[in-house]
Amino acid sequence: MELVLKKVSKTYGDLLVLNEINLNINEGQIVCIVGPSGCGKSTLLRLIGGLESPDTGSIEARGTPPPGCLNPLTYIFQDFSLLPWRTVEENISLVLEDHSLSAINRNEIIESVLQRTKLTEFSDRWPRELSGGMKQRVGIARALAVNPSVLLMDEPLSALDSQTSEILLNDLIELWKKQNFTSVYITHNLSEAIRIGHKVVVMSRRPGEIREIVNIDTDIADRKIRNIELEEHLWNLLKDEAIAAERELENG
Amino acid sequence: MGKKKYDYKPVPFRGSGFQFKNNYWISPVVFIIFLILWHVGTTIGFISNLVLPKPAEVLIAFHDLYVTGDLYLHVGASLKRLILGWTLGTFFGIILGFSIGLFSLVRAGLAPIVAAIFPVPKIALLPLFIIWFGIGELSKVNIILFGTLFPTIIAVYGAIDNVDRSLIRMGQSFNLSWFSITRKIVFPASLPAILSNFRITAAIAIILIVAAELIAAEKGIGAYVQMAGSLFAIDRLLAGIIILSCLGLIANWLIGFAEKKLLKWRNL
Repeated sequence: MELVLKKVSKTYGDLLVLNEINLNINEGQIVCIVGPSGCGKSTLLRLIGGLESPDTGSIEARGTPPPGCLNPLTYIFQDFSLLPWRTVEENISLVLEDHSLSAINRNEIIESVLQRTKLTEFSDRWPRELSGGMKQRVGIARALAVNPSVLLMDEPLSALDSQTSEILLNDLIELWKKQNFTSVYITHNLSEAIRIGHKVVVMSRRPGEIREIVNIDTDIADRKIRNIELEEHLWNLLKDEAIAAERELENG
Repeated sequence: MGKKKYDYKPVPFRGSGFQFKNNYWISPVVFIIFLILWHVGTTIGFISNLVLPKPAEVLIAFHDLYVTGDLYLHVGASLKRLILGWTLGTFFGIILGFSIGLFSLVRAGLAPIVAAIFPVPKIALLPLFIIWFGIGELSKVNIILFGTLFPTIIAVYGAIDNVDRSLIRMGQSFNLSWFSITRKIVFPASLPAILSNFRITAAIAIILIVAAELIAAEKGIGAYVQMAGSLFAIDRLLAGIIILSCLGLIANWLIGFAEKKLLKWRNL
């Protein structure tokens, strides 16, 4: 499935958060969105997934979701959003229970996603027993369970320590190599964006606008851990605004 | 040139205190010391028998209660009113609390009324309830129902207001139905607050039943205490108070048990 954003704007009260965003998210591509804090990246992601509605402009999904897709636009959250009163398995089961699946079918899906995210032996654990990295694996497994056409990831690795996030980033890359999923990936980590993105969208703040779109042609599988040159280019685009964002007062 | 001398000292440990250790044997020991002091004090006359009977006399009062069957009569009558009133109050409280917590129309209509009635000390309503419902069972059950209803409503909708919005968003993002979100996310998330409110309403219920029975009742622990007081039978009076304390402890234990069973995801 392909997503097309045309002149999408959003205001909260008097504050223009997003201004005329035009963006194409192509099938099988990972689009990374980077920008200083407060530039509206998370708002944009909520708009794309239909958790908020734009004031003007349109967001269209083109093409049909793959067969067996239970929830075309599926999120992976920064804070994992796991239900603490459900075990790993039950957290995944949650998103399948509203669909008419046989118990056998449901268990097959759960088993398969647990295996793909290396969680099989943790299936009956409570979330509080898991490390941050494991919790996010559950978040990823839950998203995979509904067989989405587009994965919407809101800083999925930001709550993790840098080593864990490196491991999970590699796992996401492996997963993409196998499944070629379409994705919008929000991050503030430039090297993360360069590693996993086909397109890096650089946003400016207040009002959030697209400043530059950098296409990265190197195959995701062949990329090095760092690409200093590109990172510096992106940082130069962001630096001044990041400084301004840091000095800003709340609700200013 | 002399060698420079160093003064070697171990770094002192400063991190002790401000931590609770489990000393299970302390409380029985304190209790036994308390009983001994009570016994000795009343025996040597340091504590006047008009103020406090000997512990053994309280025990005898208990024995009498048990042998005559009065224990069953009074505790049974109070328990019946307590259980009926508390269960009904909690039941309606949870239903109304959820309605206020989930539907803005209900909230707009009911929340102000609840806020207005909540602070009224329910004991003040007893005379009114006796006029409305008579001096029989109905006024007593109703006062407990009323007394537990409002704290429950407020606790339940407060708990719903505090449910982590990001979990609800998560549910919506996976297209869960409204009913599923309510049953699988909102309800379990508010359960801890609802259960801890049970402790408060149980205490309120015990206060109100005693108050109601003190005013007008032939049976019940409140009535027993009232009778003992007017006969100046301090041993029986104390026996009644100890029964009330036990009731409270049992209620607390039951709620703790329910918490352990229902909230096992919270701690080991």
